[in-house]
Amino acid sequence: MTQDLTSMKPQRPSLYRLAADGRSLDFLFTQCPACHALSFPANAPGCMHCGHPTADAEQVARPGGGTLLEYVTLHVPLVPGMPAPSIAGDIRIAEQVVEEGVIAVDDESALQPGMTLRAVAVPLASGDSYGCAFVPAQEAAR
Amino acid sequence: MSSNTNSNWLDGNDGVYVAGIGLHPYQFPSDTPYTHLGLAAVRGALADAGLDWKQVQSAYVGTTSIGMAAGRVMFRHLGSTGLSVTQVENASASGSFAFRQACMEVAHGISDVVLAMGVDKHGDGRRAANKDGLERLSDTATIPAVKFALMARSYLRERGAGMESMAKVAVKNHANASRNPYAQFRKPRTLEQVLASPKVAGDLTVQQCCPRGEGAAATLLVSGRALKRLGLDPKRCVRVRASFANSERDETTYGQGPIDLVRSSAQAALEAAGIGATQLDLLELHDAFSVEELLYSEAVGVCAPGEGAAYLERGDSQIGGRCAINASGGLIGMGHPLGPTGIGQIAEITRQIRGEAEGRQHPNARWGMAHMIGLGSVAIAHVLSAAQA
Repeated sequence: MTQDLTSMKPQRPSLYRLAADGRSLDFLFTQCPACHALSFPANAPGCMHCGHPTADAEQVARPGGGTLLEYVTLHVPLVPGMPAPSIAGDIRIAEQVVEEGVIAVDDESALQPGMTLRAVAVPLASGDSYGCAFVPAQEAAR
Repeated sequence: MSSNTNSNWLDGNDGVYVAGIGLHPYQFPSDTPYTHLGLAAVRGALADAGLDWKQVQSAYVGTTSIGMAAGRVMFRHLGSTGLSVTQVENASASGSFAFRQACMEVAHGISDVVLAMGVDKHGDGRRAANKDGLERLSDTATIPAVKFALMARSYLRERGAGMESMAKVAVKNHANASRNPYAQFRKPRTLEQVLASPKVAGDLTVQQCCPRGEGAAATLLVSGRALKRLGLDPKRCVRVRASFANSERDETTYGQGPIDLVRSSAQAALEAAGIGATQLDLLELHDAFSVEELLYSEAVGVCAPGEGAAYLERGDSQIGGRCAINASGGLIGMGHPLGPTGIGQIAEITRQIRGEAEGRQHPNARWGMAHMIGLGSVAIAHVLSAAQA
């Protein structure tokens, strides 16, 4: 049975929110009033491309996901509470915006550089909030 | 003109020389107070130079994890002489930047005898990046092991290389470290051992990653003017020929940021020193993870682009080869206690140029580069030579 995520809170509300489909995530960017490029996260104090102040910039939501650039398996828990093994990757989530994310696949055989990933909500153990994980876009569409 | 771009600034005050070096061996975290580590290094440097603590006019202390005012707490055990004390923190490059500050003070004629040292205990890894008020998609986003594991995977993929190409860096550097009495690791490792050690992240095994640790390293810098006045032996003084620092720019191609940073800083330092990369006899660089040495040896220019692994395979980067890379054992073998690391590189190059690196001496060593990067990312390069080079 699919868990209802709509009553849960985002673990990191400055980064994402639940999309209209109730499972995917929208990412929250800020759009620079000077160069019009997107910066992430939306509360960054300056444009990551041109340095223009972003205090009064418009926040924009875009479907969370992007292009997988590289990935590796993390064999040991590098931060407290992190499951091991797990898979992390660099994902281009907007033009000239690359973020590291957790990729929720069983092993690396499901991945290849250049593939499209989608960000989905993952219920956390607390039961009242969800985090972010990336999955192959084809899987997300199923 | 800034100190970065004026190639002659190190010629001020009749030049800047390393006259003394001292180290406390790098070691795994222990209960030894940092003051004991640091004082051993400073006393070693004073004895090596033949100078007295009272002659030191100023001190720069590179450290990341000890806390505020580490220098004065330590130095009072040497005598309260009233010298200037400055603490420098710049992540892995803290010691390197302490050294650069000391070079500036000497070259600009503010002081003639300056201590540059690094001392550290293994800390809790607190980072400014975790206090910037910004959340991140992954908790591992600021963990270097992940960043360099991704770099390693791209390297293997793009070059069509095998994992042994990276592992051979660790084999060479563990072998060098086994001959360095100040190194944290003192055992040579075979290729099979390196590859069979537990994996940490991606294709990097634990023996291809620098250890956590503590230690201390110290250098005493003197002006050319003081060198003569104090009657120091010029044959044991190594001249600082270039110092260059910068930080990362927006990368134009994914994964190229660190490599471009190393390339630009190293080439600017070489240009200031007036030599080409292939003239370097020694290169100490940031091999916190094995793949870095392959990529940075190309970026510095001791070998052609794409030739890093072949350069190692041919033995060109071994002690006795064309350019001994990480003759100390590097961060993988000698260790990476953060604050001392950059100073330890300078000490190794000084020892090698003097011809005093017993058991691991690179023959005819005249020119060396110490290159370090730190979180941020920041980069710093120093070129040193024999006094008469």
